[in-house]
Amino acid sequence: MMPIWTKSGEKHAVTLLKVQDCHVLRYLSKEESGGKTAKLLVGGKNVSPFSRPESAHEIFKEAGVPRKQKVTTFNVTDDAIIKPGTPLYAAHFRPGQFVDVTAKTIGKGFQGVMKRWGFKGQPASHGQTKTHRRPGAISTNKAAKVYRGKKMPGKMGNIYRTSFGLKVWRINTKHDIIYVNGSVPGHTNCLVKVRDSKLPTYKDCNKNPPFPTFFADGDEELPEDLFDEEIFQFTDPSVTFA
Amino acid sequence: RVSSDGKPPKFQPPPKPVIIDRKTQKEEKRFLSPEFIPPRGRTDPLKYYIERKDMIQRRKVFNIPEFYVGHVLAVTTADPYASDKSKRFVGICIQRGGNGLGATFVLRNVIEDQGVEICYELYSPRIQAIEVLKLEKRLDENLMYLRDALPEYSTFDVNMKPVPRMDHEEIPVNKLQVRMKPKPWSKRWERPKYNIKGIKFELPEHKMKAAQKWSQPWLEFDMLREYDTSKIEQKIRKELSEELEK
Repeated sequence: MMPIWTKSGEKHAVTLLKVQDCHVLRYLSKEESGGKTAKLLVGGKNVSPFSRPESAHEIFKEAGVPRKQKVTTFNVTDDAIIKPGTPLYAAHFRPGQFVDVTAKTIGKGFQGVMKRWGFKGQPASHGQTKTHRRPGAISTNKAAKVYRGKKMPGKMGNIYRTSFGLKVWRINTKHDIIYVNGSVPGHTNCLVKVRDSKLPTYKDCNKNPPFPTFFADGDEELPEDLFDEEIFQFTDPSVTFA
Repeated sequence: RVSSDGKPPKFQPPPKPVIIDRKTQKEEKRFLSPEFIPPRGRTDPLKYYIERKDMIQRRKVFNIPEFYVGHVLAVTTADPYASDKSKRFVGICIQRGGNGLGATFVLRNVIEDQGVEICYELYSPRIQAIEVLKLEKRLDENLMYLRDALPEYSTFDVNMKPVPRMDHEEIPVNKLQVRMKPKPWSKRWERPKYNIKGIKFELPEHKMKAAQKWSQPWLEFDMLREYDTSKIEQKIRKELSEELEK
């Protein structure tokens, strides 16, 4: 995470996400996948092929791509279908866009009720016998049962969670890095899924994004760094208020 | 030479000439700002490389002078609410913290009998000028104990003129021993954990001995805490000198 300053001098914290060897693996039409839209399978970081069985290699052999660590699905409209085997780059996103980021949260193991659900526990003194971090009562007398989904101690973390509506401040096309506002679930160097935001406020935010995706062998030549309008770029002199 | 056995004396090869490379030694002694050195961790070095590129960009446009803890600095920042739209603060640098673009330094001064500390970010675009008024290193790298010292040690004239620097080589070390206000202090500075050499402790002997109970002499031999930055520093210095020459 890094700080970023706007032209008015305010500081924002930013997470760096690197797009490492992403390829489209397979196309599933609406009927095949059994959903409302067509689906595209996309694979992430490259990994050695020797640690998994041969049967799992089929998808990658079809697309002609080395074995990937993670495969995710994206719901896609029919006019945005991409041929399997195309590489995806960071320039697919543009600064000023809003994005949802999904990842597996940091695993905390088996945790008690105070850390996992934020219960208040009991006082440390004044006669409390062996009760300082316990949940207390778990149900009422009339119910005569414990409801399903009661908050109790258990394994915490290591589940998929999404942060919604994160602004993209800057894109580095040379190293394929996306600078995303705020924090993102997951530990450092973990795999993350970045998607266009589905929040209703940011529905019409994308002004001319590269559609269906950014192709590296096309005619467009992008500069090494793409900045949002409001970012203070370090090539400018210091901020002054007129 | 006369040998005792009658055999020829053992061949002693001539002493090897010691080659002192003055150029690399000079480069190693040149100042490298502490925020360039990446901390120990599992982050990708690519992140530090990209951050360094941004830091070098900023340094090309805006001059950040070489300074240590103990120097007296004057910082002008842009402020939308001031009449001149800019604020000037003079103070002694107490500590330098942070890595990369978020590097900070804290300046302390006593203005009209009120101690004031301001924490500035080195790479913030609101800073318009940093001037070094007085160059002197102190015995410690963290002068937080000035909060509990007598106020005369933290007062600096706001309209102080910059002291001209004599040589381009050495920065003088001020071996001043600061006198403290009566206890209680904000931190127990006499404990060996802080390792402070710049205070004149006027505490009784038994209290100084009792403070040594909290010493941890095994820490300096702990191999897991070792972080050798010499090779990293060399690489970073090379990168810096190449980029700044462009």
